[in-house]
Amino acid sequence: MPVRVLMSPAAFLSGGEIMTTKKSRQKVTLLPGQRAVLVEKLFGQFVSENLIVRENPREITHYHSYGRLSTFFRALTEGALMGTRCSNSECRHTGIWLPPRVYCPDCWKRMYWIVIDTSDVKVYTHSMTNFPGAGFMLTTPCPLISVVIPEVCTKFMSYLSEFAPGEPYVGMPVKPVFRTKKPTYTILDVSWVPRD
Amino acid sequence: MIELSAGNLRVPKLSRKVFLVGAGMTDFRKFYPAKQSVELCLEAMKMAVQGLGISPRDFQKKVNYVVLPHFADHFGDQLLAEPKIVDGLGLDPIGNVGVKTGGATGGTGAQIAIMAIASGYASCVPVIGWERMDEVNTRQGNAYIASAACKDFEANLGWSYTTYYALMMCRYLFENHPNRETLAKIAQKNHHYARFSPFSQLPGDYTIEEILNAKVVSDPLTFLECCVMSVGAVALIFCDEETAYRLSDHPVEVIGMGAGSHTLRTADRRDMPILLLPNETEETYKDRKGEWPGFTSFLAARFAARQAYLMAGITDPVEELDVAETHDAFTVSDIQTYEDVGFRPYGHGAEFVESGDAYLGGRLPTNLSGGLLGSMHAVGATGLFQLAELFWQLRGEWDKIHGDENLWRRFEKIKPADWVSLQVPNARRGMAISHAGTGSHVTCSILERR
Repeated sequence: MPVRVLMSPAAFLSGGEIMTTKKSRQKVTLLPGQRAVLVEKLFGQFVSENLIVRENPREITHYHSYGRLSTFFRALTEGALMGTRCSNSECRHTGIWLPPRVYCPDCWKRMYWIVIDTSDVKVYTHSMTNFPGAGFMLTTPCPLISVVIPEVCTKFMSYLSEFAPGEPYVGMPVKPVFRTKKPTYTILDVSWVPRD
Repeated sequence: MIELSAGNLRVPKLSRKVFLVGAGMTDFRKFYPAKQSVELCLEAMKMAVQGLGISPRDFQKKVNYVVLPHFADHFGDQLLAEPKIVDGLGLDPIGNVGVKTGGATGGTGAQIAIMAIASGYASCVPVIGWERMDEVNTRQGNAYIASAACKDFEANLGWSYTTYYALMMCRYLFENHPNRETLAKIAQKNHHYARFSPFSQLPGDYTIEEILNAKVVSDPLTFLECCVMSVGAVALIFCDEETAYRLSDHPVEVIGMGAGSHTLRTADRRDMPILLLPNETEETYKDRKGEWPGFTSFLAARFAARQAYLMAGITDPVEELDVAETHDAFTVSDIQTYEDVGFRPYGHGAEFVESGDAYLGGRLPTNLSGGLLGSMHAVGATGLFQLAELFWQLRGEWDKIHGDENLWRRFEKIKPADWVSLQVPNARRGMAISHAGTGSHVTCSILERR
């Protein structure tokens, strides 16, 4: 229905009268399912009534690429532990890197992939974890270990997927097992068991 | 890098003198819903400025750069929180910088301020550090901290720094055979000293048995051997010489500083020759077996301490320092650090505790603040907390601050009836070690009374 409005300065000066239609305005509302949850207790204690503590829930998916290290993670799903070695014959540090590196940190040259010999691997250190942080994908208690491998210049961190009382211990011989069926495509696709 | 050259080992120097003139802090709590981070930072800054005896407006007039150490954006859930702090303090449009180096964030932040002043860029720099670690539960909090571990190769193996340190502890016990009780004594000492601080979060007198029999988080580390997770803020004020003496009759001078780094993954630490400190020679380690730094030492801490000692002219730290603050995130990391910074040679860190040197009355009282085990670990503020505690010790103000009934009341605490002074008599020189990750970044800062 036409409505009368105040004249604009231009319309007033021209002595005319203008008519217009009512604008149809779009509304902005909360998306369906939005609701506020106020927190009454934090860390086991009641929150003071004069404070507003609101839950901010979220579910987020990241897309993480292993880049050129994808070779390592794919090899785990195929039952092999791979490291890298510097391709520069003049580089003074020629140990095997595990975790692998794409470039040598000493001379910045590309490294090449090799399958690691796991016939003589021993536990270097260990810890039985009982209270891991959120997101831990394994059952507890879980024996985390670092292992020492001949020719490897680092100490690879992993876990023992079978253990008996008194295990693991420093110096314990271990062998790798691989999650070739239903892999996680994480470092959890390799674990170790007692060599015996 | 496992071969260090002269350029790498250059001793740092400041182009002009830098002084610490003020310090302030909030109390530290596991959760602090009553105050937002901006409020906490303002309250810490206000305390530091009140100590100068000038008004906030007069202080604002002097500031020409601001440093804001704050580690975990995901914890506080506010990216670029720094402008909110600067705005809240009425310090815009002054230039500022956020700093993050994990657990060493506070120590690095202080050193950035020191460098800004020493270079001549600035003459009065407040450093305000804070952390908000109570927006998620403890289990998620541990995972958030552990997201500072390598996401490809380590984080999934525990999602907890306690586990990463427990791996080091197991190896330390295997190689060096200290009494297990000696490590528990570090926790006992620091929880005890925390009792006398109105700022502290987890004070308490525990027996060695209680510490060793507490729940095992990740074997062999028990709950009472692991640092707290805190909310709180600390502010420091650094100045050039002219400004310092205009603001204070007895400022504290920065006489040494160093910073070191090492691989994020403990696994990647290759064997190398021990980097010697001024109080060591090749002879010190001629019979030593085993790798270095391996899982038992922190190259970053040694590198930082070496720089700071050489800059300050310190040749025997236990004799030439009067008080120290170390980053006791875990009992084992503390004993490792004693060795890295030369309080004892490698393998003999336990002697520093057993000799009584580490206690008040000993040759080098350490973590009289209560440390990270007893008082606080609000990550971005922690390195500043250590320097604030040293500042009060070196000015002979420990009692004035920690014994203040009003402060105890303000923090809703009851001052213990058996409260005692932890002031080190005539303390002249102090050192703070600020430490990140499993030793990825470490700073060493040495202050001296003037």
